[in-house]
Amino acid sequence: MEIKNIRNFCIIAHIDHGKSTLADRLLEYTGALHQRKLQEQVLDSMDLERERGITIKAHAVRMDYRTPEGAHYVFNLIDTPGHVDFTYEVSRSLAAAEGALLLVDAAQGVEAQTISNLYQAIENDLVIIPIINKIDLPNAQVDAVKHQILELIGCEEDEILLVSAKTGEGVADVVQAIIDRIPPPKGDPHAPLQALIFDSSFDVYRGVVALIRIFNGEIQVGDKIRFMATGREFEVEEVGTLLLKRIPSKKLTTGEVGYLICGAKNVRDIRVGDTVTHARRPAEKPLPGYRQVKPMVFAGIYPVDSQDFEDLRNALERLALNDSSLHFEPETSSALGFGFRCGFLGLLHMEIVQERLEREFGQNIIVTTPNVVYKITTTDGEELYIDNPAKMPPPVKIAKFEEPYIDAHIITPPEYIGNIMKLASEKRGILKNTTYLDPTRADLHYLFPLSEVIFDFFDRLKSVSRGYASLDYEFAGYRESELVKLDILINGEVLDALSAIVHKDRAYDYGRKLCQKLRRLIPRQLFEVVIQAAIGSRVIARETVKPLRKNVLAKCYGGDVTRKRKLLEKQKEGKKRMKQVGRVEIPQEAFLAVLSADE
Amino acid sequence: MTQNAGLYIHIPFCERKCGYCDFYSITRLDLIEAFVQALIKEMAMLAPAFESVQFQTVFFGGGTPSLLSPSQIHHIFDALYHHFTIHPDAEITLEANPGTLNREKLEHYRELGINRLSLGVQSFHPGELHFLGRIHTAEDVIHNVTLARQVGFQNINLDLMTAFPGLTPESFQKTLEQAVALQPEHISCYTLIFEPGTPFHHQLINGKMQPVPDDAEAAFYQQARQFLEKQGYLQYEISNYARGEAFICRHNCIYWEYKPYLGLGPSAHSFYDNQRRANVRSVQAYIRKLAAGQLPLQFRESLTLEQQMFEYIFLHLRLRKGLDLQAFQERFGTDFVSRYRETLDRLLENGFIEPPNGFLKLSEKGWLMADSIATYF
Repeated sequence: MEIKNIRNFCIIAHIDHGKSTLADRLLEYTGALHQRKLQEQVLDSMDLERERGITIKAHAVRMDYRTPEGAHYVFNLIDTPGHVDFTYEVSRSLAAAEGALLLVDAAQGVEAQTISNLYQAIENDLVIIPIINKIDLPNAQVDAVKHQILELIGCEEDEILLVSAKTGEGVADVVQAIIDRIPPPKGDPHAPLQALIFDSSFDVYRGVVALIRIFNGEIQVGDKIRFMATGREFEVEEVGTLLLKRIPSKKLTTGEVGYLICGAKNVRDIRVGDTVTHARRPAEKPLPGYRQVKPMVFAGIYPVDSQDFEDLRNALERLALNDSSLHFEPETSSALGFGFRCGFLGLLHMEIVQERLEREFGQNIIVTTPNVVYKITTTDGEELYIDNPAKMPPPVKIAKFEEPYIDAHIITPPEYIGNIMKLASEKRGILKNTTYLDPTRADLHYLFPLSEVIFDFFDRLKSVSRGYASLDYEFAGYRESELVKLDILINGEVLDALSAIVHKDRAYDYGRKLCQKLRRLIPRQLFEVVIQAAIGSRVIARETVKPLRKNVLAKCYGGDVTRKRKLLEKQKEGKKRMKQVGRVEIPQEAFLAVLSADE
Repeated sequence: MTQNAGLYIHIPFCERKCGYCDFYSITRLDLIEAFVQALIKEMAMLAPAFESVQFQTVFFGGGTPSLLSPSQIHHIFDALYHHFTIHPDAEITLEANPGTLNREKLEHYRELGINRLSLGVQSFHPGELHFLGRIHTAEDVIHNVTLARQVGFQNINLDLMTAFPGLTPESFQKTLEQAVALQPEHISCYTLIFEPGTPFHHQLINGKMQPVPDDAEAAFYQQARQFLEKQGYLQYEISNYARGEAFICRHNCIYWEYKPYLGLGPSAHSFYDNQRRANVRSVQAYIRKLAAGQLPLQFRESLTLEQQMFEYIFLHLRLRKGLDLQAFQERFGTDFVSRYRETLDRLLENGFIEPPNGFLKLSEKGWLMADSIATYF
């Protein structure tokens, strides 16, 4: 394959704008996939991905396309994760491509996430092919969306392609534009090897499978290779290209996209963004852009039954094989016993991990309230990063308390600006500036404490803007804040799993609402349950769950003891699903109550 | 099957269904005759298996057994004594609706050997009786208790209901007082339960009826206890009071003391050989099956040892005299106190049980929480 006939590209689109459908159409058009074999949306292969309509892992698919004139092209479609939690993974996928299809829904218009990914693509010098999709919809507003795109990327109007991925209309134009407009890869096959890893996953039979893009040099079976960031060296067992499954080949050369198997058993050895080179003739420097992904959100994951601790460890280990951004280490909680402190890229990532543990691994778990990583400078001048509120030093030892901030862009029709600004001020947002993309779209640029955004911000943003506003953000460093640690006491004992770090001005309100919420979630039991919120030794809120006065069925159903037994057994089962803290039974939901304490 | 067994006969007919009741009964009285024939057939089919058993109690429950004509009851008794051995001093109870009785019926019951009459009174307040859907009046109750005494009944139970919507402590007090004034030997006082499938439950779900808050429920319960105990009634079970040991309902105690019983008639339950069985909950199916020579069983389960122990505990906890630790050891071959030590410590520490002294008994405070406490075992 000649390098000049390779086209590497990705698709930038908001959720539901039709990315997967367009990908399916391209596969079909180029003959990579026969229509009758077509499974709905080939790219989103995990069940969870299909259910949620989002892509969590990156994928790549190769298409061999022969033009009617007989020319042979190779298209590599590099699919990118589609959520703000996975911004870094997106940037690496973009770096592996020369072009991007900018896909915009004709009825929905441009959304924040599209814009942020688009900016990343432009930063990576990708050629952008603007496409308006779903032009067959009755409420399509092709002209308005055209204007938004023109405003956004400053292209010519006739460069915008009109497509219905559903009906297939316009797909031929897309294929032609990929050939004509996206440049072939550059690079020197004879130079030392430089290959970018843009995804890695775990195959139980083969170990880690890395998806790579070769920028210079060649890689073949038997080569001794080195991962430049981790320094780990391996021997290449297999390389090849990705059709709908892996197709081994002798080698991969400059410009190509494919996979690499080298006997690595741990996804942490092979990091997204790292550069593969030869051990004997290494490249002088790695490809730019690598950084180690750091979890932004932490939470405790505990087995409901403490006997299941080892099972949970196994499940997490197996999950982490495939998810290099999941971090976990054992911790103990006085309330919950042995469990794990887990780090996630964001709240969505956390929910996905929780769901997979429950569904795929059958774990019965409690997830504690998530928190961000706080930075504390002690009076001794020591800098601490705190990922668990329970581990905070006493207030007298704290000289400086900082929390992570994010730079956020909210794109919204102007009529919702008022609502959004109200929400933003409630979330301690600092407005930096407002720009208009066109008369119907404003871009509100805010600074927010990350802790305010990870909870219910996104849902509330959607609700105050009737679903129109969209959000994107990136980490913007630490800033000093007036924070306090708020403890929850159950019958006088601190329930460490419910401790939280909150802003001083909101502590009272937060504590009151959380206590109320817990009062509703903790069922009446044999004993009185006193719930208190406290800052240090100062109690700021208190609620009581009165003891149950009467729980006995008067009659015995005329000898139908089975029925009575089943009723009692059901109550027993209900108790099992609760966590015994001291003598109080606390339902699992209570540990996540903080998430919605604002309601 | 050992001695000391009970026999229950379910008569599944009512003139009208009460809104709260979920015992199985129908209002198609034209099926009574065929039902009686089927019941006699069921007795005949089961008789061989119970040849060696002498029943200590017989209980006609319902439904409304007093709806049956004297000749129908007569037939049933003939068959009963023909197929089964009934102890000469057996307690033989018949449930009756005060609106369906007269002197002739009562005399007939006495002649047949029925020695305990259980009247579904529920309340003495006309508005409350109407609300509950009862077909009788307070006067019917007074009149029929008087008649029953005249024909020689010396063991009469009145069923009362408490904690239903609209009940006030004052009106409940009047009901208690009027009940006691009739000097029954036994009073059962049940709390209203919204059972799925009943009209009351339906109204509850649709928000048309509000349940009594559990604090108020507890207060009604205490009101009944305190009043009845002052009047000389012994509370021997969660909902049951007797004027002295002699009048404790022996049939109900068979359920709570984990003794075997045979149930006949649609929806009736049986317990023997560590198995629980239930008959079909349909008069038509019951008749059809028996006509075809099949037992009308709907359900049968063999209890695991765990289940037996759990049942044994929660049933005995309902009794004032409690659970005999020695008897438990003998039946299950395991020491109760060591098996449940942790639970017992916790319950004791919080005052829900009395210190175990040969018996496990709930404390005054634990009495009201019997179901919650049972779930700790």
